[in-house]
Amino acid sequence: MGLRDILTGRSSVKQPASRERLFALSTAYVTLETSYQITSAGVAGIVVQSLATSDFQSVLKDTEDVVKATAGEYKATVETTDDEFGFRWVIVRNPSVEDLVATINAVSTSIEEGGYGERLLCAVFAFKAADNSTLNFIYNYKRGSWYPFVPAPGDKQRSTERELQLKAQIGSELPIEPELERWFPLWGVPF
Amino acid sequence: MVTSKRSAFGRDSGLQARMVLTMFLLGLLYVALVGALLATSTSALLIVIIAVGLFGVQIVGSDKIALATLGAHEVSAADEPELHSIIERLCIQADLPKPRIAVIEARMPNACALGRSQKAATICATRGLLSLGLEPAELEGVLAHEITHVINRDVMVMTIASFFATIAALIIRFAFFFGAFGGGGRDEGAEAIEVVILVSVVVYAISFVLLRALSRYREFAADRGSAILTGRPSALASALIKISGTIERIPRNDLRTAEGMSAFFIIPARAKNSLMNVFADHPPLEKRLAALSRLEAQLQGTGR
Repeated sequence: MGLRDILTGRSSVKQPASRERLFALSTAYVTLETSYQITSAGVAGIVVQSLATSDFQSVLKDTEDVVKATAGEYKATVETTDDEFGFRWVIVRNPSVEDLVATINAVSTSIEEGGYGERLLCAVFAFKAADNSTLNFIYNYKRGSWYPFVPAPGDKQRSTERELQLKAQIGSELPIEPELERWFPLWGVPF
Repeated sequence: MVTSKRSAFGRDSGLQARMVLTMFLLGLLYVALVGALLATSTSALLIVIIAVGLFGVQIVGSDKIALATLGAHEVSAADEPELHSIIERLCIQADLPKPRIAVIEARMPNACALGRSQKAATICATRGLLSLGLEPAELEGVLAHEITHVINRDVMVMTIASFFATIAALIIRFAFFFGAFGGGGRDEGAEAIEVVILVSVVVYAISFVLLRALSRYREFAADRGSAILTGRPSALASALIKISGTIERIPRNDLRTAEGMSAFFIIPARAKNSLMNVFADHPPLEKRLAALSRLEAQLQGTGR
């Protein structure tokens, strides 16, 4: 945001970053699995800000149709749900992380091509640790960066220690968000 | 590269032009003040030094002073999960680091944004706002308005814009303190001081009106920014109607301390202050609703 935008108070919403960084998860997963016994939970979701316009809804409908049609190729299942804050989740299930990443990318590409790239928030990939606890890697579309999100027992608690360990373990392979105050939690993930 | 088909959504070059013009006029006014100070070379330098000091305190500490005055206390995600969740999602969308989140224990429904920079920002909501029973989308609209104040660095812009007005006000006060008007000895020094005071009074009076105008433009820009950020102009409109309706019904007994900071709230703390629109720091509700309904029409593809 430049000085001119500050002075004039002009707003715009940022478009998604280059999508190559999304695919970094496919290679990073090999390390996660072999070195740290972290396995995919076989599910990922993409969070989209839902607009109540007919144009946006038809773009979203087209996206779902396209992805459902191609999902068969990857043996993936696709469903959508709305959360309490009015955000649309497109949830993809597939045992292969590579196919999950490819399908999530197909969803975001289709929404971008529909002209609503700025409404993409993030994608959440769920994993299981060796002790069967859940951990997530979240991809921030605006910044093209990843961060770990590990819910802890208790109400709205997260294990920052575990998250920082994960950053140290996988930071060389996955572009991790450098600013900790941008590691936004996502509560109530619908999967 | 795919471009957004809504890239034109929310542009208002008229508003931006008015804002730039207002800032230009303010700048012009301040050049006149500085010119008068330099031309007379009185002890005005001392006043400027004091003013710069005050300015520093204002920039660094205004948020803490304001938070303490308002009786705001920071809340954790466990205390206010909905507030945190909505702000976190807005921060992802706005590409902002997470601000501090505070609650003011007052029945008056209102919200404000404080802090000099994006990194040192605090978003405040009153208890009255949280218990008003707004839909999540409406609360989101209000919070996105405050987030836009943070994005636009409105606290910084308004503090800098009012810097010389503060100097002018100080000069006027100092003048009375030193009794510059009194005394019979009419030498050259006294005349020079009188010129400075006269210029200061004029600068203060005009900049007061201009600053209020600038504040109103920044409010329009924040409404617009909220609509662009959430994609739901009508949710903010609905929230503004509910909030202002409640403010008028609640006797103004608890947010009175906030009157001096009215410019930073989403709805002015003084409910009925529209003696004259030029002195108001917020635009009238009808105008804000009209601007939001134009945005909704643009969004739906039915507007201009």
